[in-house]
Amino acid sequence: MEYSIRAANVEDCKDIARMITELAEYEKVSEHVKVTQKDLEQDGFSKNPFFHGIIAEVPEQHKTKEGHTKIGYALYFYSYSSWKGRAIYMEDLYVMPEFRGIQKNGLVAMEIMCMCMCMCRKSLVICGVCLSGKGIGKALMSKVAQLGLAAGCNQLNFTVLDWNKSSLDFYLNQGCFDVTADMGYHCMRCEGEALQHLAQP
Amino acid sequence: MEYKLRKAEPRDVPDILRLVKELAKYEEMENQVELTEKELLEDGFGDTPFYHCVIAEIQGENNNSDGQTVVGFAMYYFTYDPWVGKQLYLEEFFVMNEYRGLGIGSEILRHLSDLAMKMRCTGMLFVVAENNEPSVQFYKRRGAEDLSEEEGWRLFRFDKNSLVKMATPAEE
Repeated sequence: MEYSIRAANVEDCKDIARMITELAEYEKVSEHVKVTQKDLEQDGFSKNPFFHGIIAEVPEQHKTKEGHTKIGYALYFYSYSSWKGRAIYMEDLYVMPEFRGIQKNGLVAMEIMCMCMCMCRKSLVICGVCLSGKGIGKALMSKVAQLGLAAGCNQLNFTVLDWNKSSLDFYLNQGCFDVTADMGYHCMRCEGEALQHLAQP
Repeated sequence: MEYKLRKAEPRDVPDILRLVKELAKYEEMENQVELTEKELLEDGFGDTPFYHCVIAEIQGENNNSDGQTVVGFAMYYFTYDPWVGKQLYLEEFFVMNEYRGLGIGSEILRHLSDLAMKMRCTGMLFVVAENNEPSVQFYKRRGAEDLSEEEGWRLFRFDKNSLVKMATPAEE
């Protein structure tokens, strides 16, 4: 099946919001999604964007029954390592289920779950990508890597949930390493009341 | 002891690198620092900064010609969570050993939290080494959640070599 990958533009925000919500709905945690299409437009496509996106699109003849041709995306932003310099962070990687395929040699496609920092309290899967025969998920990730290198980045970071063995194995086989396991780094967050409290004089 | 916080300027780059190395030494990772002053200058003070810094300096030392010494800093940037929006990411946060206990660290954190709220960020994110007990406690006392422990999040990384391989399109 043919597909193309290109940079997201402001008109894609409707589909990006749809795909973010799709996944959340599938996991029955759509109430966690507070970001709207308008937020995405403002936050991703104004003078100082907080994120960038790439979209996977299929031709008209392969559109979904609801008429969608935009069937996958990745969200990323540039970050910085005080030890190594420029870095790229892959926040989201998603391909709609019907565009995950069977491997060319006939093996059932392996569903790889790629995590993002918008985690669900119940630790459910946040977004899924099938890195198999159709290769759309892998192509999206490869594109993020290319963009990172072009911008002078020395590393690509992302997070994965520890119970997700198939993803952990897949990523490790791709040549990345588990920073949390190897260096003992824990991801921490201050939000809500704790953040407000910290901000008080 | 009087101290003040201010936004970093290009002239602070040597002190920023000095403190980055001091923190790396504290984490027993000094040989991991590959960043140079030239990169810090280009990446933090060019047209599109990759990071921002807030500096803590005190009066009365003669490290700089104007009688100020940089004794602490925080390096941060903005990230995005597609569910809840903008986040402030705290990349580096350090106060020199001899200047701890004066409230400088707390004030830096307060300043950043206030900035996060002004920028309409819903959270402040960072990583801490699990064996860094004093830091883990410092953050937990202030209401930080350990997402790795509580929700099982693991940080993964492709370093330069594996990033180059990943960027090469797969043969179909």
